[in-house]
Amino acid sequence: MKTTEGTTYRMLQTNLSRITNQLEDLRIQGATGIKLAKPSDDPAAIRPVLTTRSQIMHTDRYLETMGISLDVMQATDGHLEHVENVLQRVKEIAVNAINGSLNNEDRTVLANEVSHLKQELLDAANGMVDGKYIFAGYQENTKPFIANPNYNPDPAVPAPPPYDPADSTTWPYIYQGDANPTQLEITPGEFLEVDLTGNDLFLGVSNSNWVNEATAATGQPEPNRIDLFSVLTLTEEAIRTNNLDDPNPPPSGRGLQQQLTNLETAANQERRLRSQLGNRARRVETAMLHQTDVRIDLKQILSRYEDADAIETFNEIIKQETAFQAALNITSKVAKISILDFI
Amino acid sequence: MAGLFTALNSGKTALTVNQKSIEVIGNNISNVNTEGYSRQRAELSPYPAMNFGDFFIGQGVIVSNVRRDHDVFVTNQLQEKSIEFGLQSGQTNGLAELERIFNISEENLSTEIDRFFDSWQELTANPAGLVERDIVIQRGELLAEKFHNTVNDLAKVKDNINDSIISKVDAINSKISEIAELNTRIFNIEIQGQTANSARDRRDMLARELATTLGIQSYPDSKGMLAVQLPGGLPLVQGTEAMSLEARTTGTDLDLVLHAGGTERTLGLHNLGGEFEGLVHIRDVLIPDVKNDIDRLAWELSGAVNAQHYVGAGLDSVTNRNFFTINQSPVVPPPPPPPDPWVDAARNISVSLTDSSHVAAAAAPTPPAQVGPGDNRNALILANLDDSFLINGADTFNAYYGKTTAKVGIEANQNQLALGGAEDAMNQLQNLRDGFAGVSLEEEMINLIQYQRGFESSAKFLSTVDEMMVSLMGIKR
Repeated sequence: MKTTEGTTYRMLQTNLSRITNQLEDLRIQGATGIKLAKPSDDPAAIRPVLTTRSQIMHTDRYLETMGISLDVMQATDGHLEHVENVLQRVKEIAVNAINGSLNNEDRTVLANEVSHLKQELLDAANGMVDGKYIFAGYQENTKPFIANPNYNPDPAVPAPPPYDPADSTTWPYIYQGDANPTQLEITPGEFLEVDLTGNDLFLGVSNSNWVNEATAATGQPEPNRIDLFSVLTLTEEAIRTNNLDDPNPPPSGRGLQQQLTNLETAANQERRLRSQLGNRARRVETAMLHQTDVRIDLKQILSRYEDADAIETFNEIIKQETAFQAALNITSKVAKISILDFI
Repeated sequence: MAGLFTALNSGKTALTVNQKSIEVIGNNISNVNTEGYSRQRAELSPYPAMNFGDFFIGQGVIVSNVRRDHDVFVTNQLQEKSIEFGLQSGQTNGLAELERIFNISEENLSTEIDRFFDSWQELTANPAGLVERDIVIQRGELLAEKFHNTVNDLAKVKDNINDSIISKVDAINSKISEIAELNTRIFNIEIQGQTANSARDRRDMLARELATTLGIQSYPDSKGMLAVQLPGGLPLVQGTEAMSLEARTTGTDLDLVLHAGGTERTLGLHNLGGEFEGLVHIRDVLIPDVKNDIDRLAWELSGAVNAQHYVGAGLDSVTNRNFFTINQSPVVPPPPPPPDPWVDAARNISVSLTDSSHVAAAAAPTPPAQVGPGDNRNALILANLDDSFLINGADTFNAYYGKTTAKVGIEANQNQLALGGAEDAMNQLQNLRDGFAGVSLEEEMINLIQYQRGFESSAKFLSTVDEMMVSLMGIKR
């Protein structure tokens, strides 16, 4: 066995190229900050990296969706506050009308005010966000509430069918939307209703009982629920006709006394739904905070898989550079020494 | 006087022998960097002795042979290891290309899949929005495009592999015929009792090169000729006869054909070794495998999206529309029925919707009801398809792509390791071979001095004999 020129230079060559290759890889790592650049760098990390990336994308989308949901909810809440004020004012007027000894003109003034408040309620019920009706269910391009052309306030007139609390087609206003609250996905697998349907909020008809505007809703009237427009219309009529008390109990009784009870039911119905919406908005807010945290966690996981440890990389570079220098030194020494200088 | 003449003669043999040895050393030094060259050395033996009265006295020296340092074991080892080295290095380029196609940067097929489903999620927040609907269609088109690009890239890698096979075939054929020629030459030289050192060196080196590219096996026959065979046992060189390879292209396919004595054989993966085995392995095993995965992914994804899209309704309340098209009209003549339904799905996938109002974000309405523009129920389900384990019940679309990428990654990773190992082994064996058969300048220099001294002393011996002759002549004045 002997050492020849071939073996010596091959050894030098192999070592130099190995060190330069490693140095090159490390420099790329140092410059990009990424240790997972090719699938072969860590095949086991590929699946988690891809999954984490798509989870981050989902989280971004959830955050954006929740932002949109909050916008809708806040706008809805603004409208609901207005509705509450309207109901409050109508109640004051009704109390005023029932207590005071009013003459006809006074009652007409009050009745007119109720009529205006009814219009305000209608405006709120037809409220829009982003060009879409918010209380219309899926029918966001259709104006949800219009006056019922077939409304007949007088039970004595047989046609069209007179007002009947059990038949939604006889109510003073009809609802043209549908009974579908919009659901959005705010966290994986969690679907949240971000709006209220007009039938639920204004007509007091549960979503499951609503069919459409031409068909009478089933199971009417529902306990503790009432059609806000009917209450206001009946209140206006009662003030106008000075119908203070009615022998029939509410809700079918049409006297002012009965309407006061009805107004209370209406205000409760509105407040209940408003607080439901408020709870949901709160859920969205906490979910947003949670998703922001999740996003940070996911970024951390991703970073652990694909980012190079800067300190480690630079240490390694220095180590390899030293090795490179040593290899070069040896190479130059080998080149300098030769048997030819001695014979 | 006769004794002196004999001495003169033996001095002369010493001069020529030392000269010859120096010549051999000179040749060694000249070939210090010649690849595959084995150090040669002159073998000296004393001239047959002559009976001189009661003694046998030597008559000088003779170069009996010029032999090369050679070790069959190391040579065979080197050839064996070359096959492994060739196999790994043949795969390296193809794998690097595949790694580029199945990259894991921020832009790859899985990102497109994510974006496609994200666009559905975006649509749920504003199902009536025509812009959001357009985005869904565009994302679908981009996804289809990405599928097309991926399979096209795979086809290109296949083409590149075929090109590199074609470019190597000529060199292989010339090496095969050179081995056959060397067989003739070595036989002709050695039948006269000489050793054909450099021809054998050259033949060993060619055999090693062929082992690297083709994985050949070789063994010498009784006449000193090298028989060369492909891994499956098909002959490449038999005695003085050389076969030839042909790269035959049919359409986009390429077959290696062996012409052996008037017959033709198409070479499969089991007939190949070394670099060609590596190339053909990537071309015929790995690429079809990952292409099948991508096709399957395209097929499963479009199937799942279509199935859900079909039951939903567009803004126009029309249901039963497909989002993607995967099967194009059959090519004429129709190909044989594919074993898997997803064959070529990645190439054929396209978005069949053009009108954004046809995007089925809404659940199907019960007639006569119409679709509410705010209905996002179907979009919600579609947006969640990417979280469902729809492939074999075990993988999401994204994870399936990850699995395929990991497949490529593992192959490339193993290849890097194996190539490094094979390179190290080759280096060690080369060093071992050089240790036996390589030229060491130090050794040659010292031998040079040795033979120079030998030459000088024989010259001295001759001049001494000459002086003795002169004195002998001087006896008679």
